[in-house]
Amino acid sequence: MWSLGRPDAPSDDPVLIVDDRVSAGTDEVLAAGVSLGMPRREAEALAPFASVLIRDQGEESRRFDPVVEMIEDLIPRVEVVGPGLVFVPVAGAVHFYGGEEALAERVAKELDRLVGQARGGNALIGVADGPFAARWAAATAEVGRPLVVTDTIGFLSRLDLVALRESLDADELIDTFRWLGVSTLGELARLPRDALATRFGNHGLMAHRLASGEDRYVDPREIPPDHAVDASFEEPLETLDAVAFAARALAERMLRGLRVSGAAPHRVSILAESTTGEPRERIWRSADPFTEKALSDRVWWQLRAWVESGGVPGGITRLRISPADLSDEGRQLGLLQDESSRIESERALARAQTLLGPDGVLQGRAQGGRMPQERVAWSRWGEPPVDQERNVSAPWPGATPSPSPALVPPRLQPLEVEWEGGMPTRVRLGTRWEPVLTWSGPWRLTGRWWVGEQDADRYQLVTSAGAFLCVVTGGRAFLAGVYD
Amino acid sequence: MGIEDVVLDPPLLDLENRDEGFLRLRPGWITELVGVPGTGLTRLGLRLLADLSQVSPVVALDTRCWISPQAAWETGVNPENLVIVRCDEPGVWPKVAAALLEGVRALYAEVPAGIKDQDLRRLAALARARKVAVAMRPMGMGLPAGVSHLRLRALGVTWEGADQGHGRLGKRRLVLEASGKGASGMTRRFEVEDEGSDVVRVVSDVVVGETRRAVG
Repeated sequence: MWSLGRPDAPSDDPVLIVDDRVSAGTDEVLAAGVSLGMPRREAEALAPFASVLIRDQGEESRRFDPVVEMIEDLIPRVEVVGPGLVFVPVAGAVHFYGGEEALAERVAKELDRLVGQARGGNALIGVADGPFAARWAAATAEVGRPLVVTDTIGFLSRLDLVALRESLDADELIDTFRWLGVSTLGELARLPRDALATRFGNHGLMAHRLASGEDRYVDPREIPPDHAVDASFEEPLETLDAVAFAARALAERMLRGLRVSGAAPHRVSILAESTTGEPRERIWRSADPFTEKALSDRVWWQLRAWVESGGVPGGITRLRISPADLSDEGRQLGLLQDESSRIESERALARAQTLLGPDGVLQGRAQGGRMPQERVAWSRWGEPPVDQERNVSAPWPGATPSPSPALVPPRLQPLEVEWEGGMPTRVRLGTRWEPVLTWSGPWRLTGRWWVGEQDADRYQLVTSAGAFLCVVTGGRAFLAGVYD
Repeated sequence: MGIEDVVLDPPLLDLENRDEGFLRLRPGWITELVGVPGTGLTRLGLRLLADLSQVSPVVALDTRCWISPQAAWETGVNPENLVIVRCDEPGVWPKVAAALLEGVRALYAEVPAGIKDQDLRRLAALARARKVAVAMRPMGMGLPAGVSHLRLRALGVTWEGADQGHGRLGKRRLVLEASGKGASGMTRRFEVEDEGSDVVRVVSDVVVGETRRAVG
């Protein structure tokens, strides 16, 4: 067990951490009568002086991860119950480290070292037969002094029934046991199991098993194989030739490793460190699994971009490529599609994206709307399309008719138009005025007044320099499109 | 001056097919679209991508960041296969264009003013080597001699449908002049009708005397 600090907690004030119920509290709060698992409202009433923080399990998991990794370095298979609590099967490790106490001491020592690195938190370590007994052994241990339980049934028999609450989540059952005069796990274990199963069903049976020391096995998490490859260079890579060679070699090494397990990546992370030790990282994606050439190209493009832009001052000292989104599936090729062209195009577009940034390569998708600006939902190429804000199949009465303007500014541009008797006569284009030869409109566009939009009129203006879509609102004219 | 002043010549043998051929991009060829803004060349350039977009991705290289894919979709470009690349920095433009020519099969590229002739010649060589079908729309001066195989110059455009407040813009008639190697060294003039759909009709062989501005 590992207590997790909250960096955002006030340093001197008592703190209560809650979601629906109390999940943690400082000593002052617990002294006021608050207990873990107590409903939040009740705890706040008992400790009104405490600062209340909302529990953030994601952040807790992130902070707990170094602890899990440290334990996995010592004992390879770990079951993470939640942030702050892990179970570890030690049968094999006990022989390796020379006994349960030696193992527990070693784990405690490593955890102390972690505390020394200001990770925060103090470890409680318990060793017993089964996760349930080990959890309560840890709960009754002292910081830095692991508790190794040799008589698990005897240890359990002295525990209060409240120990079952976490495992069974059956408060009513525990209250019923107390009402029947059963207050410890030992007393519960002495009751006939058949009778408990008949009277209390599955929960009663589980409670009796736990009280009797009959526990489940630890279910450790799988350790994912590490397919990342990296290379360090004593002489920093400064020339593009050297970078290209390293990129190709590293990409091939990673894919060779993946082929053994029949996998191919759809996403790779490329990390380079400069002589200053500053890392640069970029993630590349591909709809098709990366081939050696495709991956080599991308690594090369990325490194070249960094080298040419001075992003890795002094040259590259370390390179790392790690795969993600692995798949063992090919892609169904369309009968009438030119898939080789598609793959080459994607490579070219990815290269353009490197030069221009992700917002430089875009794809549009039709969506509903009355103005040309509204009718295209833009998304970055290579990323999932954004959701339509407006339904494209809705009727959209009053929409600007086709043909659509081929040039549409992202925002309306101010346009100087001269009017005579409500009719447009001249348009200012740059430094010159062009007479309006003919026009159509106005077409009314009713704005959404509830969000502050004004009504507008649309005109199609034809001049000797082309045709324009013009919007007039609030007495001012704007350019909405050019029929180029 | 408008295309009302254009004199229609008697149609030549197989003229229609040949003129329609001017409106198709060919692998390894560069088609140059020349004309002042407003003559409808953006729409025409996007329309040239339509055929190839049915089988593979096509790209519009947009230097003004104003190109609307909706106009391209209306001309028959497959929405799934149209990618817009926005590049408003002339310094990067040659690199981006070269990167695209390395992989795509069809490209409509606006060429910003100030691009060196040397860069444009290199890009043309790359397009030939990679068999990319390219339409280029110079924003400043035209392309240097020898770069394009076919030069389509907009001579005039008229709109039908709008009339002093009534109706709406409907049909556009665009007169083009084709020249260069792709036109067998002859200067041909023809008229294109565009009604906002993906059907573009080549109407007739026409002759005009000189380059003019677009008119309404």
